[in-house]
Amino acid sequence: MESNLKSQIREFVMENARGKGITELSDADSLISRGIVDSLGIFRLVSFLEESFGVRIPDDEIINDNFQTIDDIDRFVTAKLGAVKGQAPATA
Amino acid sequence: MPYILQQLLTESVRQFPDKPAVWARGRTLTYRELEQRSNQVAHLLRSRGVEKGDRIGIYFPKAVESLAAMFGVLKAGGVYVPLDPLAPADRIAYIISNCAMKGLITNGDRLRGLDASKIPSVEFSLLTEDKANGLDRPDVVSWSELSAFPADHAPSLQATTTDLAYILYTSGSTGRPKGVMLSHQNALTFIEWCAETFSVRSDDHVSNHAPLHFDLSVFDVYNAIKAGATVYMVPDDTAKFPASLSKWMVEQEISIWYSVPSALVFLLLHGNMKAEKLARLRIILFAGEVFPQKYLKQLAELLPHIELHNLYGPTETNVCTYYTVDRERLKTQDKLPIGKACTNTEVFAVDDNDHIVTQPGEVGELYVRGPSVTNGYWADPEKTAKMCVPNRFQPHFQEKMYKTGDLVMLDEYGDYLFLGRRDNQIKSRGYRIELGEIEAALLSHSGVREAAAIAIPDEEIGARIKAVVALHQPGSLSVVDLQQHCAARIPNYMIPEMIELRDTLPKTSTGKVDRVSLAQASVAVV
Repeated sequence: MESNLKSQIREFVMENARGKGITELSDADSLISRGIVDSLGIFRLVSFLEESFGVRIPDDEIINDNFQTIDDIDRFVTAKLGAVKGQAPATA
Repeated sequence: MPYILQQLLTESVRQFPDKPAVWARGRTLTYRELEQRSNQVAHLLRSRGVEKGDRIGIYFPKAVESLAAMFGVLKAGGVYVPLDPLAPADRIAYIISNCAMKGLITNGDRLRGLDASKIPSVEFSLLTEDKANGLDRPDVVSWSELSAFPADHAPSLQATTTDLAYILYTSGSTGRPKGVMLSHQNALTFIEWCAETFSVRSDDHVSNHAPLHFDLSVFDVYNAIKAGATVYMVPDDTAKFPASLSKWMVEQEISIWYSVPSALVFLLLHGNMKAEKLARLRIILFAGEVFPQKYLKQLAELLPHIELHNLYGPTETNVCTYYTVDRERLKTQDKLPIGKACTNTEVFAVDDNDHIVTQPGEVGELYVRGPSVTNGYWADPEKTAKMCVPNRFQPHFQEKMYKTGDLVMLDEYGDYLFLGRRDNQIKSRGYRIELGEIEAALLSHSGVREAAAIAIPDEEIGARIKAVVALHQPGSLSVVDLQQHCAARIPNYMIPEMIELRDTLPKTSTGKVDRVSLAQASVAVV
């Protein structure tokens, strides 16, 4: 079943995407090459994730591996929430 | 002395045939390979009927083939036109028709995008890969077909230094981008000055952060090639993540970095940059917008042994003034000067009484003359005549000077300080944006009655863009509808991130939209 986390992430990303004229986006599409996330937008996304899910995202985790696609962001945040269980997110 | 840009490459090939000339996404081309590939591109273009002065678009994300394409077009005698790979189809279509583009060097993905948008096609397209599904047609050429053409020499060409080399499209106030025509001489004047001032060496690793349609990239590519150095193209995704970008700088052992200040501010604030790790970095150059003094001071402290230079110049002049940061003076400076004229360039400020400014504290509009200055805008004599004006301060022979529209003040050291614009041009993340172009995009929607675009000053990126819009029928359109309408016409960085819908826009006593009150109200809210 689709996680609530992922749908919230998708909703936030789509809101930004629509403002840039993109109405269709798959969870595996690159947010960078579609022009949705630019260097400023990435920090808005980070603030959204921090506020919505109560995670802290240090600068060295704000990297391509964690933010390339909606799937990546979902995996990354899920890993952070489950970090106590020993899943460490990628860092620069 | 080289008088056309491709001679810079040919000279370096003799000295450094096996050195890498360019790195992009883990791939490199040596000087010999770049020379041979560009010779083949030139022959292929000729075989497709390209003649001297023909415009060829370069339309694909940065790759080692970008340089082969640029030099290939020049060697064929053509004029290259770098196109933003992320620009909306409508803008690409306008540029293709505005400069009557004969051919494109592109990839399958972009070409399919153009086909889908029914953009008036060019005579042929050279793909940087092999033809794939749906593109197997006579006007499309695969990169592998280059191997059939001679690699050891370029086609014969009668060229002079005043021939056009490339056209860079920049935001236009009346709603359409304008093509700044740059000649070999315009670029070489700048490159010669750089070589003398920054002593670029063959062991340098020169970054290329700016997009190729942005004039900062002219420094990166041609200075590296002239020196026999290597240009390292920053991968697009790496550029968006400061921590990845600073790691990339360390890994590629970048020694000369050039970018807009906002990229450096992002690196400074979020990149975990460490001086000891950036062991080979020796020069940082920045241009395109004002560097916020607060962050420049932090950068100067973080990287105490690195030269910092502020370069200034509209695309029309390449770079016309520069200022080397003096760490002692920086401590008490409120504003970083744009400095003094570069070699082989003259600048002066003209006040409202049409007198050249000579005393500290006096304010005027900056004018530029010399061989780095453009001949004007492609197919736009009207705009050209407005900006490239006869030099009325020198009566002996006819020559043009460029009117920048920038207000400057002379300081006590003889340096110029940038004060602001005479018109509605702004800078956001270093991109030059005419607010009029955004307004024109909004007004092109039949439901929009009035629109004003305003810049809200921002410490990190220079300015954020807001629009205030009045509709014919209130409630008929949403903010997202308007943003999507813009997205089909103007690049991402120009789309207003905030749009306020009002019943009507405030007017001045002369009936014009009162931008000042709108701007003041917006700043107060944010």
